[in-house]
Amino acid sequence: MNDGTNIVESTAAGILDAQNRQARRKNQILRVVLYALMSVLAVVLLFPYFYMIVKSLKTADEVDNPYSGFFPAVPQFINYVTVFQTGGYGQGIVWTILIIAFNLIAVPVSATIIAYSFAKLRWKGRSVMFTAMLGTMMLPSAVTQLPLYIIYSKIGFLNTILPFTVPNLFGGGAVYIFLIRQFMRSIPNELENAAKIDGANAFVRYSCIVVPLCQPVLIYVMIQVFLAYWGDYYGPLVYCTAATAPKPLALVLYYFITDNSTGTKTNILMAGAVFMSVIPTILFGIFQKQLIEGVTMGGLKG
Amino acid sequence: MKTTTDAAKAVPALREESSKKQKKPLKKFLKDNYTGWLFNAPLAIGLLLFTLIPVGYSLYISFWRTNGINIWEWRWLDNYIRMFTIDREEMLLVLGNTFYYVVVSVPLGLVVSYLLAVLVNSTIVKHVNAYRVLYYLPCMIPAVASALLWTDMMKYTASAESMGILNQMLLALGLPASRWFQSEGPKAIASLFFINLWGTGSGMILWLSAFKSIDKGLYEAADIEGASRFRKFCSITIPMSTPMIFYNLIMSVIGSIQYTGTLMYSTGALPGRGSDGESLYMLGVKIYNTSFKISGAQGYAAALAWFMLAVIAVLTGILFKTSKWVFYGEDDA
Repeated sequence: MNDGTNIVESTAAGILDAQNRQARRKNQILRVVLYALMSVLAVVLLFPYFYMIVKSLKTADEVDNPYSGFFPAVPQFINYVTVFQTGGYGQGIVWTILIIAFNLIAVPVSATIIAYSFAKLRWKGRSVMFTAMLGTMMLPSAVTQLPLYIIYSKIGFLNTILPFTVPNLFGGGAVYIFLIRQFMRSIPNELENAAKIDGANAFVRYSCIVVPLCQPVLIYVMIQVFLAYWGDYYGPLVYCTAATAPKPLALVLYYFITDNSTGTKTNILMAGAVFMSVIPTILFGIFQKQLIEGVTMGGLKG
Repeated sequence: MKTTTDAAKAVPALREESSKKQKKPLKKFLKDNYTGWLFNAPLAIGLLLFTLIPVGYSLYISFWRTNGINIWEWRWLDNYIRMFTIDREEMLLVLGNTFYYVVVSVPLGLVVSYLLAVLVNSTIVKHVNAYRVLYYLPCMIPAVASALLWTDMMKYTASAESMGILNQMLLALGLPASRWFQSEGPKAIASLFFINLWGTGSGMILWLSAFKSIDKGLYEAADIEGASRFRKFCSITIPMSTPMIFYNLIMSVIGSIQYTGTLMYSTGALPGRGSDGESLYMLGVKIYNTSFKISGAQGYAAALAWFMLAVIAVLTGILFKTSKWVFYGEDDA
């Protein structure tokens, strides 16, 4: 009896073992195929970035000479200095930093205030305002850009950085408010109720309890704000047209592409493009986790 | 003793207060809701100043022939009629290009980024996180830098030696060199689809977050039933991510109708027209040109923007009407 069951067990185990081995081998093949596929994709997707860096390190002669090979003979790091001495690139970075510095404060402050009213306060008109806010996400900017241009021209906002800063005192966009509101809703009300009993008013509860807990979503919002204004050429293209107007980095580069009357060489232009890409890349490297998980925080619930 | 008298006093006082409240509903409304409105005030003011007033103003000027400064001639619906009469040919061209761009780039972008997300969501391969980062890196190149880069890579010249690197590759493979976005007809916009492929990383991240929110129990149940990988993908992953698919679909349709990226790739007389004057010409670019490059056409530009809004409204309306395939979980169904 005992032996019999043992035999049955061992054969069953043997069959399972064989199946497992087969499955494992199948997995092994699949793994190799996936690795190969993913690596090829990575090489293809990263090639333009790599090419941009290589080209930014060439000399002007190497750029012009098609026989000079793919890589520069000697990497010309001096190009990165030269680019800031050419055509407004140096001033461009100053304007970009100014705009971003303002918005990195304005957007989180105003967006958390508004989000708090949606997430934690009860008041009549809340759902109407919320729907109205989400409605603006559907509104094409083409509808408002021309009237805003005319309004800005009347109040003297044109050819200044005010069109990229002042509107952000009012929340900075539906997406940011929505994301922060979603995050605030996940903060338990018990914390606030305790403070309420101690006599803390809404402003104290907002600034001392809720906002400090919002740190993860705020980091996400701030990075997005940074990236948005770092790369924004369209806004300045519309509102900063005068020769003396402030031209952020992205607009300077835009003019290089569409009308390179200064005749700046490709290697120098590429150095500018690399600089524009490297800063966001470093930021992404540091805040990779928050950036990837930030999208999850909002979710689609609510 | 003292407390009881206080309470006795408080009762009529309360009654008085409540009767006061009934008399003045506005005061009561303010008392109950002022904190909420106070916190919401930035949004309310912002919406008024930067959305409602501009939207109303845009509608108003769309009935005028105006430059927005000193020329104001009442034209009633002429600007709207103009699109379908005098400007018909150009509108057909522009709308054709725009719809071509939307119809191809939206599904292409969604499908490719979805597949990429599925690929890096697999549990078979280790270090999958590193690949996610690598795939997302091209998205860190700002649009202008990317335009500069692709213009250089896609350069087409008469002599084979000075071609851009992509054409060099094509020639090395024995294929004919392409003019890319400088070609005539649909090929020009097709190069934009090609360029957009390098930006799929951002879509990938959205899908990954959607996958993350799928209940793990579903997969465990499927494993017990012995479901294959493919089956799990078709019967769990896809249906459970339909809300995200729907959201991304709507947002990318709205986004790509407004696409103005070709401003950077064109060398025509007006920005965005492309080298042959038309193949890269889209609705967003036409509105930009009419608004800011043609004097006295600002009323018409506003009308064009309202036309764009109408197109977006109709398309999203159709998408919402046909959204039966979206799965919002058992309780809501």
